[in-house]
Amino acid sequence: MTNSIGELVDADVLLITGSNTTETHPQIGRNILEAVDGGAKLLVIDPRKTDIAKQAHIHLALRPGTDIALINAMMRTILDEDLADDLFIAMRTENFIALRDYLHRLNLDELADITGINLDRIREAACIYARSSKSVICYCLGVTQHTCGTANVQAVANLAMLTGNVEKKHSGVDPLRGQNNVQGACDMAALPSVLPGYQNLADNEIRARFEAVWKREIAATPGKSLTEMTHAGKDGAIKAMFIMGENPALSDPHLDPVQETLKHLDFLAVSDIFLTETAQLADVVFPAASFAEKGGTITNSERRVQLCRPAIAPIHNCRPDSHIIMELGKRLGCPGMEFDSDAEIMEEISLLTPIYGGMHYDRLAENFGLQWPCSDRDHPGTEFLHKYYFTRGKGCFTITKHQEPFEKTENEYPFTLVTGRGSYHHFHTATMTRNSKRLVREYPQALLEININDCKKLNLKDGETVELRSKRGAVHITTQITDRVQPGTVFSSFHFFEVPINQLTVDAMDPQSKCPEFKVCSVSLTKVSHD
Amino acid sequence: MIDLKELILEKDNLYPLLRKLMKDARLIAPVENEFGDTLFSVIDDIDTTKIDLTNQPQESLKPFFLPQQETVASYTIDEGEYSFTPPPPALQTIFFGVRSCDLTALLYMDLIFSKPVKDATYYDRRNHSLIITLGCNQPFDNCFCEATGSGPYLEYGYGLQFIDLGDCFYVSAGRSKGADLLKKWSYFFREVEEDDQKRRYQLLLEARGQFTKNIQVAHACRKLQKEPVTEEIWEQLSSRCYDCGGCAYVCPTCTCFSVDDTPIDRNSGLRIRSWDACTSSGFTRMTGGDNPIDRSRHALKRRFLHKLKYDFSSHGKASCTGCGRCVDICFGGVDITTFIDLFTKQETV
Repeated sequence: MTNSIGELVDADVLLITGSNTTETHPQIGRNILEAVDGGAKLLVIDPRKTDIAKQAHIHLALRPGTDIALINAMMRTILDEDLADDLFIAMRTENFIALRDYLHRLNLDELADITGINLDRIREAACIYARSSKSVICYCLGVTQHTCGTANVQAVANLAMLTGNVEKKHSGVDPLRGQNNVQGACDMAALPSVLPGYQNLADNEIRARFEAVWKREIAATPGKSLTEMTHAGKDGAIKAMFIMGENPALSDPHLDPVQETLKHLDFLAVSDIFLTETAQLADVVFPAASFAEKGGTITNSERRVQLCRPAIAPIHNCRPDSHIIMELGKRLGCPGMEFDSDAEIMEEISLLTPIYGGMHYDRLAENFGLQWPCSDRDHPGTEFLHKYYFTRGKGCFTITKHQEPFEKTENEYPFTLVTGRGSYHHFHTATMTRNSKRLVREYPQALLEININDCKKLNLKDGETVELRSKRGAVHITTQITDRVQPGTVFSSFHFFEVPINQLTVDAMDPQSKCPEFKVCSVSLTKVSHD
Repeated sequence: MIDLKELILEKDNLYPLLRKLMKDARLIAPVENEFGDTLFSVIDDIDTTKIDLTNQPQESLKPFFLPQQETVASYTIDEGEYSFTPPPPALQTIFFGVRSCDLTALLYMDLIFSKPVKDATYYDRRNHSLIITLGCNQPFDNCFCEATGSGPYLEYGYGLQFIDLGDCFYVSAGRSKGADLLKKWSYFFREVEEDDQKRRYQLLLEARGQFTKNIQVAHACRKLQKEPVTEEIWEQLSSRCYDCGGCAYVCPTCTCFSVDDTPIDRNSGLRIRSWDACTSSGFTRMTGGDNPIDRSRHALKRRFLHKLKYDFSSHGKASCTGCGRCVDICFGGVDITTFIDLFTKQETV
C-alpha cells in the first residue's frame, strides 16, 4: 500500500476494485466503512455484488476480465471533463502524451459494451474519483489474478497518476495483500528474480554484498516462478522440492499437472502445521510451529513490520520455520546457518536490505512496529510513499489495452467461473479453518453461487448437486441461488479438498508476474440426476 | 439481621488489606500489561504488580464464570454406558476493581444460570467468589451505564463497593460476605464522617454529568414494547454485520453457548461448552439447511430484541449494561448504540 491503513478513514473517495474487503480484510473494511460514515463516497468495481458492493454509492459490476476497458473509459472521461491534474502530470510523470493520444482514439461506447456497464455510470464514477484530491484506490486479487494482471495494475496506477491522487496523505494506490505475511515474504525475496528489498539480482555489486555475508555464490539468472515449478510435469527440470506453508495440491490452478509433477519428484519435503493435501504426497513432513508457538516478524499490507512473540511453547515436536530451515541448511552444508535468536536474523536482514535498514528488534519491541522504508536506526518509518518522487524517479504512464481472458465462453462451456474466498469464515485451503467446529458450522461445504435466472433456465433448485465441468476437469458441487453473481457467471471457493475447484481453472498466467488467471475460465453446468 | 456497614479505607491501607485477603483466596484485579492492555489478572505477587484502577478492563467478569471454552465434564464409555466426571472444584476468589456495569451483568448471569436448575459449574464459581466493585468517577468514551441503570455507582448486588474519594475509599457492604470482611479486618478502616459523605455525593453527581454518549435506552425499551422495528432498520444494520461474533463474545451479558462432545479415544472424551453468537447463521440453521433467520436481513434482530425488549419485559430492565465494549469492537459500526439511535428516531408507525 502506498498509504497507511489508518489514512483510509479520512479519504473522501474510496475506489475498491477486485476486493471483497469486508469478508477478506475485515480491519481495512472497517476503516472503509468508517470513512463512508464520515461522508466519503464509495465506488466498488467487482463482477459480484459483495457485501462491500452493497454499501457502495456506485457498484460497477463489470464482466470478468474487463478492468482495463473500464479504467480506460474512466480515464478518457477524466480527460474529456478536464479533470486531470495537469501540474502533477507535468512535474511528476512521463509518457503522458502517448497515453493521452491513445485514450483519445478509443470509442467510449465500445469500451462500455466490453465491460457490460452503462456508460453514464462509468462517467459518474470517474468524475467522483477525479474531483476529489483525497481519492484512494484499494485493489486485491480480482485485479491481479488475470493473464493481464500486470496491465490491470498499470491501468490502476495510470488512473491515480492522471488525477494526482498518489503523492499525499489520504490518496494513493493500495494493494491489499492476500496473506498476513505475503508482503514480508516478498520483501525477503521469496520471488524468483530479485534479492531481498527488491534489489536487482542482475546487479553485480548488490550480489557481491550478499555473497560476502552468505559466503556462497548467487546465480545472476532468475529462478522459476511457482507454477513453472509445480506444472512442469513428470519430466520437469526440478527433481526435489521443499514446500513450506503452501498447499499447491489444492490452491494451484489446473490441478492435474500439479499432481503429476509432485508425484514424479525424486524427493518432496513439506513443512506445515497440519497434514495438507500437499503434505500427504511428501516423503518427509516437518511439523511446523503455528503463529502462537513461534516468534519473528510479520509485514502487513501497509508495509508495517510487527514483532510477534510466542504465546505458548511449541506443542510436541513442531518447530519454528527458522529452526527447520537452519537445521536443514546445516545438514546440506550451507554456511551462515548459525543464528541464536530471531533478533540476530533480523540484524542480517537490516544489514543487507535498505528498506529494512532500521528494523532492529529493540525498536520493534517498543511499539506496534515500523513501516518500511526505514533506512536506519534513527528513521521513524514511512507512513505513505512517493511524497516527493517515485521509486523510479518520475511515474511512467503505460498504455494498457483491453485483452480478452485466456478462455472465452462457447456453446459447450457457456458460463464464466470466478473463484476466490467463499466467506468470512474460511481461509484459502482451509488448512486451519476447517479445524474449527464453529467456522465449519458457519460454512460447511463448497457452494456454487449462481444467479436465479440461470437456475430457472436450467431448472435448478437451491442446494442441488450439479456437475461443473471445464476443458480440464469436473467437480460435483452444491448450488446456492443468489443475486451476488450476474447471469452467465458462477462463483466458487477453493476451500474444500472434496470439491477441488482448481481442477477446472486455467494455468495461463500473466507473462510478467506469472500470476495464474484464477478469476476467469469457462464451464458448463449439468444437473446431476438422482432418480 | 445483616448489619451492612459503611466505612472508610485510607489508600495506604489498600495493598496491606489485599495482602491479607490473598492468604485465603486468589485475588483477581485489573492489571495493565506491557502492551498497554488492561485485563483482569490473577495477582501472584502484590509487591510487584500494580493494580490498574484507571483504565477499563478489556473483558468483563464473564470469562471467569462462563469461560470461552470449558470442560463441563469428562466422560468414559464402558459397554455403552456413559459415566461423567465433573471438573475440579472452584477456587476461593476475590475480584477487586470490578466496575458497576460488570457487576450488574453478573447479577443478570445469576438469573440465567439459575433456571431451570442452578448450573453446577457456574454456581460453584459464584459461591466461591467475593466481588469488590469500584464505582466509576470518570466514565469512559463509550460508556452509557447511567442510561441502562447499571452505574456509575451501584445501589445493591455488590459484596463491597469502593468509591475513590481521592485520598481514601468510601466502602459499602452490600452482602453478608462483604460485611464479614469489614468486621474481620476492621482495624484497617475508620468511621465515615460527614465530609466523606458529601464528597461521595458530589463525585456521583459529577460522574453522572460526564457521559459523552447520550443513549436513549429507556425510551427505546418502552417504544419496543409498543411498536415493531422497521425492516429498513434491520436490513441497514444487518448488511454491515460481518458475523465476527465480537459483540457476543465481549458482551458481559451474552450467555449463549454450544455444547460439543469431543472424543479423546473410543472410550473417553470431554464435554465442552463454548460461547456462541446468535448473530451467526449456524446458530439457527437446522439439519436439512432450513434457517428461520435470514442473516442478510436479520442478523442483529434477535440480539437487540433480546437485550432491549424481551429481557426488559421479563426482568423489568434491559440486559445491556452500557459498558460500551461492543461499540469498540464492532467492525461494521452496528453496535447496540447505533440501533438505539436509529430506532428511537424511527417514526411511530
